[in-house]
Amino acid sequence: MRVRAQIVMVMNLDKCIGCHTCSITCKNTWLKREGMEYVWWNNVETRPGPGYPRRWEDQDRYNGGWTLEGRKLRLRIEVRGDYRPPALEDYYHPWTYDYERLFSAQQFDVQPSARPISLVTGEPMDVEWGPNWNDDLAGADLIDEDSNWAGLQKEIYKQYRDVFMMYLPRICNHCLFPSCLYACPRKAIYKREEDGIVLVDQERCRGYRYCVSACPYKKVYYNWKSGKSEKCIFCYPRIEVGQPTVCSETCVGKIRYLGVLLYDDDAVEDVAKEPEPRNIVPRFLDEVILDPADPKVVESAKKAGIADAWIEAARSSPVYKIVKRWRVAFPLHPEFRTMPMLFYVPPLSPVITEGERALGAKVVDLFPMVEEMRIPVRYLANMFTAGNEELVVGALKKLIALRAYERSLNVRRPGEAEAARKLLSEAGLTERDAEEMYRLFALARYHERFVIPTARKKVTVKGIGIVRP
Amino acid sequence: MRRAASLLAALLAVLVGLAVSISAVVVTAQVPEVAVKYVEGAIPLDPNSPVWADVQGVEVQLASQVLVYPISPTAESRTLLVKALHNGTHVAFHLEWSDGTQDVATPGGLDVFPDAVAIQFPTRLGQLPYICMGMVDNPVNIIYWKAGAGAENLVAGAGYGLSPEQRDALGLARSPVSPVELLPPNAQVVAARAAYAEGTWRVVLVRPTASVHPLMAQLAPGQPVSTAFAVWDGSRGERGGLKATSGWISFVLEAAAEAVTEVRTVTETVPGPAKVVEVTPTWAWAAIGVLIAVIALLLGLLLRHRQT
Repeated sequence: MRVRAQIVMVMNLDKCIGCHTCSITCKNTWLKREGMEYVWWNNVETRPGPGYPRRWEDQDRYNGGWTLEGRKLRLRIEVRGDYRPPALEDYYHPWTYDYERLFSAQQFDVQPSARPISLVTGEPMDVEWGPNWNDDLAGADLIDEDSNWAGLQKEIYKQYRDVFMMYLPRICNHCLFPSCLYACPRKAIYKREEDGIVLVDQERCRGYRYCVSACPYKKVYYNWKSGKSEKCIFCYPRIEVGQPTVCSETCVGKIRYLGVLLYDDDAVEDVAKEPEPRNIVPRFLDEVILDPADPKVVESAKKAGIADAWIEAARSSPVYKIVKRWRVAFPLHPEFRTMPMLFYVPPLSPVITEGERALGAKVVDLFPMVEEMRIPVRYLANMFTAGNEELVVGALKKLIALRAYERSLNVRRPGEAEAARKLLSEAGLTERDAEEMYRLFALARYHERFVIPTARKKVTVKGIGIVRP
Repeated sequence: MRRAASLLAALLAVLVGLAVSISAVVVTAQVPEVAVKYVEGAIPLDPNSPVWADVQGVEVQLASQVLVYPISPTAESRTLLVKALHNGTHVAFHLEWSDGTQDVATPGGLDVFPDAVAIQFPTRLGQLPYICMGMVDNPVNIIYWKAGAGAENLVAGAGYGLSPEQRDALGLARSPVSPVELLPPNAQVVAARAAYAEGTWRVVLVRPTASVHPLMAQLAPGQPVSTAFAVWDGSRGERGGLKATSGWISFVLEAAAEAVTEVRTVTETVPGPAKVVEVTPTWAWAAIGVLIAVIALLLGLLLRHRQT
């Protein structure tokens, strides 16, 4: 066992309201530079839809991630011999508006309009595509371009009664087995030993863009001005001083959690090579992510040089509870085999209406049963567990039981409490678990959501004994 | 019986002779040195200037660099036509190669890989550095031109062979960050001008003959300097190690004074275009092979004759 520690994010999609505040604050903090106009280290996708860049999940088109050949992992770009990165049109042509015209235009009967202006060429342009275009069109036929329809008849979900939607905020997954890192011939990409953050060294990078092609999430971007590639830095200057990332800090729905996970580096590659994709997530949770309360793990962690503050933080990590103890959060597209270290709590669906109930929908009190949910389990499984529906159902059942339980505490009707407790135990939760989950998902304050040990080293000044931070 | 043996011997000799003539590509020495003519005054930067039309060029063979995982090279060879002039203070190289597509770095060109060309010099004359971008104790100086981005004066291979103090003194970052590094601003003394027309790139690269930086070699008349070339074809996605490279080619700057007297004799005595051949001439090996075969045949015939 070789223990390592990483600062990891969980996003609770049940609470995402799709406001894009995370994207905007990230953009304002890091990406208001020439050459990066089209870049969103953090973006929010309305699903089903093509995403950003368009159809990024389709690896027949983009050649990202790893493929398994026998017992060997190979980069898909290498297997296919195709190292082309996406073009600007695959993302979108960034634009602003000619606001000046609103002030300078001559007075007419009609109001002046501000024409769209390209942020690349400065010329007027027609806006034909954007980073979440399907949201602007309320889905439309663009839902066809979603890559998660396997095993589902997508035509059904275009019907008025059966449409569904959800939000998917995305940043770099800071993977344990990053294909971007392995694709770089200049070794410009590295994963930080101390906190697992994956970075592109701007001094080493020469803009070859193999990483852009090799990342299956398309989260490395080419800066056409500097001629180098850049990616989400997990706000490491903030993390280093114990502050959450900007996207987490400003999240309106408070959907984001940050905490330490201890993992076994020796197990990573073996799990990435799991022949059956549906087994990747269970093995990821069981074999790779370690229990920080286990004395053996703690001992190995200390031996590996992990600071006590980090082990301590791992024990009170909200991420550990959500991901490993309750198993209600999963990585995005584990079948790309990069072992992403960012986890999503799948969204529940809205309460069932009286109309639906009249049509025979099965409910748990107000809430739909798992199989009655608007968002098909299969769709979520295709997205988060490589098709393993069992895992998704397990998580959703816990979340439904939690809802029912909390409701039973407030709406006291005969038999309700018993029914709720039964649901909890069926879902594999105790009442204590439910209380704790409720606290973390609904009430958690800043320091409960973000448990970040600082990476600062204590320096002792010789002879004086002053300890400086 | 004897007759069969002699026939066999003859056949063997023929085969050996043929083998020798076929496998004759043995790099032994750089045969001729390319003379860099001296011109009075400014050298035209414009690649289409008529001055360049009169300069005798050499055809340099380029081959795709052999690469390892995760990149597979394109297997084909190309040709670069190299012309050179100097005026005492500067030396200019006129590089011309065919490329069906013009790939230039443009704003928003996320999937554009620009066409590029580079000249590699040793940092000091004498012991030649390793041709693949130098070594720790013997780095190389590279002038690298990229379409749409211009020219850079680089050093490669130096990084890990120097102490932080030495690197400081050279104007490089204290700790090396990359195998190829930009020389400090005071050494960015290279100029480039490029033109693309009808499937052909013509690029003029100019550097001072003087050593402006300790990692640039001093070029002096009469002293041979080895250079190597590389070309990138952007439309094939070539970047970094994906490129076509040449072997070392030796150039000699003509002395300014000599040039005046030599112009007359040169035009009369130098036969045909001076094509650089880096290998022992194939025709010589072929001739030797054929000679061996003929001798063997004659011997065989002689033996046969004696028997009868």
